[in-house]
Amino acid sequence: MLKVLDHLEEWLIAFLIGAATLLIFVAVVHRYSLDMSADWGLDGLYDWLFAFDLSWAQELCIYMFVWMAKFGAAYGVRTGIHVGVDVLLNNLREGIRSKVVLFGLLAGAFFTGVVGTFGVNFVWHIAHTDTISPDLEVPVWIVYLAIPLGSYLMCFRFLQVTWSFWKTGELPQHEHAHVEGLDEEIEEAMETGEPEDVLTGETVELAEEREHLHGGLSEKEWKERHPPAGRDKGGRK
Amino acid sequence: MNAAIIFGLLVVLMLTGMPVSIALGLTVLTFLFTMTQVPIESVALKLFTGIEKFEIMAIPFFILAGNFLTHGGVARRMIAFASSMVGHWYGGLGLAAVVACALFAAVSGSSPATVVAIGSILLPAMVKQGFPVRFGTGVVASAGGLGILIPPSIVMVMYAVSTNSSVGALFIAGIIPGIVLGTMLGITTWWRARRGNYPRLPKASWAKRIKAFRESMWGLFLILIVMGGIYTGIFTPTEAAAMSAVYAFVVSIFVYRDMPLSQVPRVLLDSANMSAMLLYIITNAVLFSFLLTHENIPQALAEWLVETGLGPIGFLAVVNILLLLAGNIMEPSSIILITAPILFPVATRLGIDPIHFGVMITVNMEIGMITPPVGLNLYVASGISRMGMSETTVACFPWLITMLVFLMVLTYWPALSLWLPRTLGMM
Repeated sequence: MLKVLDHLEEWLIAFLIGAATLLIFVAVVHRYSLDMSADWGLDGLYDWLFAFDLSWAQELCIYMFVWMAKFGAAYGVRTGIHVGVDVLLNNLREGIRSKVVLFGLLAGAFFTGVVGTFGVNFVWHIAHTDTISPDLEVPVWIVYLAIPLGSYLMCFRFLQVTWSFWKTGELPQHEHAHVEGLDEEIEEAMETGEPEDVLTGETVELAEEREHLHGGLSEKEWKERHPPAGRDKGGRK
Repeated sequence: MNAAIIFGLLVVLMLTGMPVSIALGLTVLTFLFTMTQVPIESVALKLFTGIEKFEIMAIPFFILAGNFLTHGGVARRMIAFASSMVGHWYGGLGLAAVVACALFAAVSGSSPATVVAIGSILLPAMVKQGFPVRFGTGVVASAGGLGILIPPSIVMVMYAVSTNSSVGALFIAGIIPGIVLGTMLGITTWWRARRGNYPRLPKASWAKRIKAFRESMWGLFLILIVMGGIYTGIFTPTEAAAMSAVYAFVVSIFVYRDMPLSQVPRVLLDSANMSAMLLYIITNAVLFSFLLTHENIPQALAEWLVETGLGPIGFLAVVNILLLLAGNIMEPSSIILITAPILFPVATRLGIDPIHFGVMITVNMEIGMITPPVGLNLYVASGISRMGMSETTVACFPWLITMLVFLMVLTYWPALSLWLPRTLGMM
């Protein structure tokens, strides 16, 4: 069940960014072919193109991106892409550190939960009016539905992450499998001299993983300051 | 007083390590709820309308385009072209890295992306050729910073959005400073390499150079599409970004064929993830600047600064120091979105040009990316070279000094950034 939700979320945001790009591309091409066919006197083509009214493209693009932003933000909690300032955090004692992390996660859940509730209220009120959007002329409450849905999903994701942090003491950034895979690729590139491309987001993620994990220290320095014994379960007894 | 409460709350919340976006939102919520009569439901509306601007949509498009370019073999061909042109000078591949970073920066809007695209290919090659890992890492991490100065630039879009400046004028204003900084970084590289007597490449024949140019032409053409399109007014910046995303997709999949079609969903998801994170910060930052304006904080600050008699010169110095410090602990988008609405009214009061101010902030952000503890370029570069953070920081030192010198020149010589947009009549 949760897997379905995960995939739905991924497909939705990937689709939205792709579709919005295509939409704007088509709208621009349409606009210029309209101008050109008028300039060159291609009346048949002009009439045919003119029949398509794409003035709503910009508005739809904005709505698609707002939806992508809301659901993508929830996905981002799961992938740990939301960056924070963790300079202080990483210099705290392990026991206090995990308490502060828990506080941060719960604050995230609280904020998104509150915003979601505002959103419900807001959508409820607006659904009782006849407000429609200027170009697409759809009822705006459908458009604004992104706020409660996205925020509640984000709240759920924060709670999920809190739960797994409580259970395992690990945040989603700490996925080591990801890092190892990349290291192998680079090793291979260094040996063969044949470079392997790395996904940008992946490397940024990796960079953040290291950042969050070690507070800016190298592996060696980190190990010196944090002996392995102090790291398990983080003093939550 | 209220200002102290707001910023105190924000700093405390941020120090707990929660996402910057959440800290911003919670600050606003707490303050509005406890200290004012503002109907809190209006917050929900702001959360939607905050990003309801077409200009902001340039950000996801540029991220998507950048991701396609990184995978699609565009970077590789640009590197080949750059090494054929400058590889025989002192610095060899190192110098080629600077040129390749500048070229790639002209098609991509983000600086970690530039480090990844150029670094993951050039760094292993440099090490194989006998360059010290340190030198290579330093070059790539620093030159990658050009990504946000040379247009298109996501950071500049952020600044334009939060101060209502023109994205197009900012882009054009970034061109000359970008070229100058690129040259300065190149000179530093050349000088260091000459002293260390690092390997050089054999001089490439003109036939080879032309071949390399023709192969990389598809990528270089994108510079024309974006900048030419924006300058002539054929596209708005957002449309140019969308066009470049589609163009980058076509080039990667059908022209260079370095990327299988099956990888497209992954790239889309990756870009969406990154964009959503940035858009989420923007939404909450809009909320935050709404609160600041509601409490009249920027205006009060401007009054106060004018009264203290701190002229434009002193103000710019203070801003630079403040931003460099902030660059140490926060990432660029958050810094710009939080500080621009506060500093901007002061700057305009003191008669500083908004475009010049924007370019200056961008260079600051660039420096912030190679200063620890939170320098994204450092992390990305150390991820590729697998050096420790402190070592990577030291490796960047010569180029960091170069950048600081450049920042001083740029700050007090507005013509450097403003001449081109003025000449072209964009402002």
